[in-house]
This record gives sequence, C-alpha cells and structure tokens, in this order.
Amino acid sequence: MNNLVRLFTTRDVLRVYAAYGAAILLFIIGALVHPGFASLPSVTTILLISSFIGMVAAGQCFVVLIGGIDLSVPWVLNAAAILLATASLGQNGRALYAILLTLGMGGLAGLANGIFVVWFEVPAVVMTLAMNGIVEGLTLGLSSGMTCGACASYAPPIVQQAVHGVFLGIPTALWLWLVIIIIVSFALSFTRFGRATYAIGNNPRAAFLAGVNVNLTTVALYVLSGVFSALAGILLVGFGGQASLGMGDPYLFQSIAAVVIGGVSILGGSGLYVGAAAGAISLTALVSVLLALNMPEYGRSIIYGLVILALLLLYGREERQ
Amino acid sequence: MSERAAAAATGVAAVAARTLNKTFGGVQALRAASFAAHAGEVHALVGENGAGKSTLIKILGGRFPPDSGTILLDGEPVRFSGPADATRRGIGTVFQELTLLPWLTVAENLLFGREPRGAGGLIRRASLATDAEAVLARLGISHIDPRAQVAEISLSERQIVEIARVVTKKPRILFLDEPTSSLVEREVAWLFERIRELRALGTAIVFTSHRWNEITSIADRITIYRNGSEVGTFTEIEEGEAITLMTGRRVDALYPKLPLLSAGAKDMLALTEATIPGLATPIGQPASDLSFHLRAGEILGIGGLAGQGHRELFLGLFGAPPLARGKIAVGGKPLRIHRPSHAINAGLGIALVPEDRKTEGLLLPLSVRYNLTLPILRRISRVGVIRAPTEGRMSREIITALGVRTPSAAQRVGALSGGNQQKVLVGRWLLAESRILLLYDVTRGVDVATRHEIYDLIMRLAGEERAILLYSSDTEELAHLCHRVLVLRDGRVAAELVPPVLTAEAIVSASMRQARAA
Repeated sequence: MNNLVRLFTTRDVLRVYAAYGAAILLFIIGALVHPGFASLPSVTTILLISSFIGMVAAGQCFVVLIGGIDLSVPWVLNAAAILLATASLGQNGRALYAILLTLGMGGLAGLANGIFVVWFEVPAVVMTLAMNGIVEGLTLGLSSGMTCGACASYAPPIVQQAVHGVFLGIPTALWLWLVIIIIVSFALSFTRFGRATYAIGNNPRAAFLAGVNVNLTTVALYVLSGVFSALAGILLVGFGGQASLGMGDPYLFQSIAAVVIGGVSILGGSGLYVGAAAGAISLTALVSVLLALNMPEYGRSIIYGLVILALLLLYGREERQ
Repeated sequence: MSERAAAAATGVAAVAARTLNKTFGGVQALRAASFAAHAGEVHALVGENGAGKSTLIKILGGRFPPDSGTILLDGEPVRFSGPADATRRGIGTVFQELTLLPWLTVAENLLFGREPRGAGGLIRRASLATDAEAVLARLGISHIDPRAQVAEISLSERQIVEIARVVTKKPRILFLDEPTSSLVEREVAWLFERIRELRALGTAIVFTSHRWNEITSIADRITIYRNGSEVGTFTEIEEGEAITLMTGRRVDALYPKLPLLSAGAKDMLALTEATIPGLATPIGQPASDLSFHLRAGEILGIGGLAGQGHRELFLGLFGAPPLARGKIAVGGKPLRIHRPSHAINAGLGIALVPEDRKTEGLLLPLSVRYNLTLPILRRISRVGVIRAPTEGRMSREIITALGVRTPSAAQRVGALSGGNQQKVLVGRWLLAESRILLLYDVTRGVDVATRHEIYDLIMRLAGEERAILLYSSDTEELAHLCHRVLVLRDGRVAAELVPPVLTAEAIVSASMRQARAA
C-alpha cells in the first residue's frame, strides 16, 4: 500500500499533476475574464489546437528524455504538410500513398539526425538545426517557393474530413491524440524500449555497460521525433486545407515548452509524456487566455518566454544525483 | 611518533573545530563535531563513508560555513568568507573530487591565478610551461608533461597535479581528502615523501584514507569519526579496535578465508594472445600479447602499476571496446565479444562491475528495480513488453538474498548507502546468472565496514563456483583475496604469483622491476 502511495507521489508524477493543475487553473481564469471560455465548444477547440502541439511534443519528449533535442521540427513539419498536398494532388485515391510517403520523409530526416548524432558524434543541437536548414532548402527548392503546380493542391478531402470529423462528440484528431498518449506512455513505462530510453537519459555509459543498445535506441528516438513532426504536418494541412510556408515555425518553441511544462527534465532521464500532453494544453490555454485579454502578439511572446524561464528555474535547479 | 605527538598535544592547535554542526537537506553530516591538529604533525582522519570527514574538511577549508560552531586558527576564532579567504590564511585543501579544468593544460591548471606576467599584465605563455616544469621538478615529478591537456592525462596524474597545485602555495595547514585513492603504490610513496618534508617545515597535515597501512605508516595521530562526531583521538591504535570504533560493531578478521579451489575445476574463461587496444608498445617489442585461463571457483587477481592495461583488459573482455586481437573462449567455446550485450548473453554469462559505480555502474536517479533488471530485460519481457510481476519477484528475491538495505525495490538507488549500491550492482549480475565476474577495483573509496561485506560477498560468489577476475589498486587486498595473481606490464603478463610467494611485497616488487626496465 505504501509502495502504491509512493508510486503516485514521485517527483515525475507530481510534476504531471502540476501541469494539469496549471491547465485547469488557466481554464478557470479564462472563464472569469471571458464568459464562455470554459464552454464545451471553446474547450474542444483549445484541446484540438493542443493536440497538434502535443503530437510534435511526443517526438520532442522522446529525444529530450535522452538529453537530446530536435530543432528540425519546424521544417520537417512544414515539408510534411507540403509533401502531403503535392503528392496527393488533393485526390482521395492518392491519400494513403501520400500519408505513408510523408511519414517516411519525416522518419528519414530523423534517421539522418540520429545517425549523425550517434556515429559522427555531432551534438544534437547542431545536427538538428542543420537538418532544419537542409529540409527548408529542399522544400523551397523542390516546390520553387510554393509556386509549383501541385503545391496549390488541397489536402485530400478524406484527410480533411478525418481531422474535422467528430466521433462520440469529440473531434477525431483528439481521439488520435488520446491513442498516441496511451501508446507513448505505455512504451515509456512498460517496455524494454522505454527502459532503455530512461537509462540512456540518465547515464549513457552505465546503460551501455548494462547491455543496453544505446546507439540503436538513440537513432530510433530521433526517427520517432521526425515521424511525429510529419504526422503533425499532415493533421495541420488536413485542418487548414492547404499548406503554407512557415506554418511549422511556432511548433519548435511550443513543443519544447510543452515538454518542459510537463515536467520532463531538459537534461534528460526523467519525465512522462502525459505531463508533456498537459504542458501542451496549458500552453494553448495560456495563449487563449491572453487572447481573451486582448494581449497583443508581442506581449504573448514575452509571457511565453517568462513562463519557460520560470519553469526552468523551478525544475532545473534540483540537484542532479 | 610519540615525541612529536606529545609536543603536539600540549601546544595550541594550528587548526581546531569546536561543536560544529552541519545539515544537508535533512541529513545531519556533523553533530557537535570537534577536531584539532597541530603544527608539524600528520593527522589522519578516519571513519566510514558518511561519517562526516569530508564535510569537516570542506568546512575547515572554507568551502562552506558550518550551521553553528567555531573554527579556530592558532586559538583565534575565525569565519571564512570562502575558499579564497581560507587560502589567504594559509590553508590548502586537496578535495576528494578533482577540481582541475579538463580543457586547460597541466601548466595552466598548476599556475592558475599565478601565471607569469609580462608587459601590460598579460600572461607570458612562453614561460608558462617552463615555469610549471620547474615547479613539478622541485616536487620530484618528471613524468607529467606540463603542456598536456588535463583531459588527456590519467586519473592518478591528475590527482598528483591537484596535490602539486596546493602544495606549491606552501600552506601552513594542509588538508588532503582521500589523496591516495587514485594513486598507485609508487605515487603514494612520492606523496608521503612530500608530506614528511612539509611536516619537517612545521606544516599541519590532515588527511583521510581508507587504507590502514598508509595511515599507520605516516600518521602521528589518528582521529576517528562516526556519525558526524569525533569518537576519539589516538597516537596508537590497533586496526581491529579502530574499525570497531568506526563502525560501532566488531569485525572478526581483516580478510576472509579463501574457498578451496578443487584440482579438477573446469576452465570458464580462456584468453589467448590478446592485444590490449590503445596501449603504447615499447619500441623493439612485439605487440602485447596476453593469455590466461580462469577456472570455476577461482579468484584470479590482476596486479601491476596503473596504465599497464588493466582497465582496457577488463573492458575488452566485456566488449567495451573489444580487445584489439586475440581469442576469447567461454566454457571452452570460442566467442566474439563486440559489445556488452554479447558478453552478458555469452554461454556462461560475463559480468563487469566497473570501478566507478556512480558514473559507470548504476543509474542513480532510477529505482533499485530498474537498476537490477536492466541487463536481463530481454529475458523478462514478451514482444518488448516487460512482465512486471516477474520483474518484481526477481528483484525482491535478489534484494533478500544479498541483504540490500532498502525500503523497497522502488527506492532510488542514489538514496542507498555505498555498500548497498555496490550490492545492487553485483545483484544485477546474479540476476543475469553470470558465471564469470570481472570485478574492477570494487572496493576503491569504500569504507572499512562495507569493504568487509564486499570481501565476504566475493568469497561467497567464488564458493558458488563462479569464476572471478579481480583487479584492485590495493595490493594487500589482491594478495589476500586471490588464489593467483598475474602482474601486468605493457599489456602482457610479467609475473604469475601463487602462494606461498603471493604477498603484497612480491606483487609490488614484480611491478617495480618492470617499471625500472621500462
């Protein structure tokens, strides 16, 4: 019994509670300043927007857990959105092919990140930043700055319907996110892969000497990050109908912020994805509250930054054992 | 010793502590602790890990202030504003954890803040190295290149540079916190020579060590600490009695009895003509080749000076990284070991307990259970999903079998005492059913009481017909814990010692002979 109590009061779990608490608090504040803020349609919209951040944050969470980072999020996401539209030409018949191609592209970018980080020992910050630039260049070049004929294509209607569709009163994108939350959390907590991830995040050398395949796991995590960025790109283009340049830009900062707010250690080794999911919701709720307060863009930016700084001060100061 | 000790006991102490208290996050490290050392004496501070020795030294060295209590220098109460203040007052401290800047050169570290200056106060880089060379030479150090980057030199060389940096400032009071733990015999002799010189000059020297022979060979007085307070100060005390005072319980024999090795014991591990990777071969000699057999129930010791390939050998047998050349046979079957998972899953199972359990062994923030089952996850999972009940049962069994003192398997390993951490590390390999254990300096920096528990554990493992390859930086230990010892030089076996010639002296002289030849 005592063990059970301890299991639900570990530092990681307490941080998850804190992240959800923050989200709820923000909804209450929102409702106070703006009647209707906590109404069902409004909450659903906020959660829907959170789900896009949350999916990118799933990938970001994986690499942050091993002390890495994925800065290639913006353009992998952007390229995915454009690739989906151009490869499908807006036709339902080509939708599946386009989706697989797009996810494959994200995985490939992640694979390159992982391979260079592991075997060429390029620091993750440098490698993924370079990858962001490379993917940006490739995307702009191949689409001639979004002026190519196929670039104007819309996402296949079936993809659009899937994102906008509602099942049991809840948007399908939210169902998808729920499934992802369950799968990612399960993978982290109950599988060998998850154990290896935490082990590497805590001490790669000790993990290696305990027989963990550090290199393979690291590469797999970067691949997953790329795939999740691409998935978010697909959903976003389905949500908005069309791809645009720069649509991935906000997601770098937001995915890292969600992970940090959710209590994942930025140095790696501890944290849970359910926390990062709550982080995504808190972040979106915060933006919505600020919008409801008619806070201008620059003010929101400053508050964003301050929130991250405050959390890093709060969470980052604990002694590393 | 008694004359000096008598003189010391009467005069005013050069440095003294009265009723010091210090608490770290709820743990009381010092409780009403007292201490006094006099000019011209060598004062050993002994006790178990966690007894408060390092905390006392850090407070007296100005690293941080006590919560309450008084520090006296020559009888005058003082309050340090920081380490620099303590240095100004003539206190030099060599802390246990190394403080050198790894990306600077030996010379830059050695003369940090006291660099030779030229026009405009700029550092004269040209004379930095030669100045450092002179400083090192005065201290009798010739084997360390002042131009080398600290990150490139060995751990023991770093420790020597660390000591040299403090000693050259000519402190009146010198604190050395476990200065010998990373030094080999020859370097310890060097350090003791320096200590004797300083003592003759009237310096008060306070040092900590877990090695009793070192303590008795140089200390004028011995202060014993237990649970954050002084238990007593002695000019002469038997080791057994000291251990009793340190631990609060009796320890029967210093070294346990070796289990008998049956004549027909089968070969568990055979290494033939292996080459240690990365070891410089002396010109005109063939690449190193190393061969030995390890039998079931045998404890085979590996001795010799530091840097002769021990570490590389142990890591090599574990595939981290693999040996450059040579054949490994496990249980008579030839085997290729390219990474640790190959070794772990080899026929009889090879296990490595590395020297530093905190950086290479355990994942301190993770639970006891996670640490125990990491190497065997494949065996206890189905399609990648860990079978939690099996994992829980196995970890509880091993915790009971080894007597690990922990509230539960969910406890963070970092919260356990050093000895219990070591047990978790060994327990991991018992779970993995490893029959061949590579134990690399597993007692380094471990206090006396825990050390005995580890000795008993090693004997028990050998008694269970496991094969044990043991390296220790403590030659006494090698001589007493092993059936047979191989002394390494330049990555080859230079001498094989078996009883009755298996003594610490024999190991040392075999290593030294090589050193001179090299």
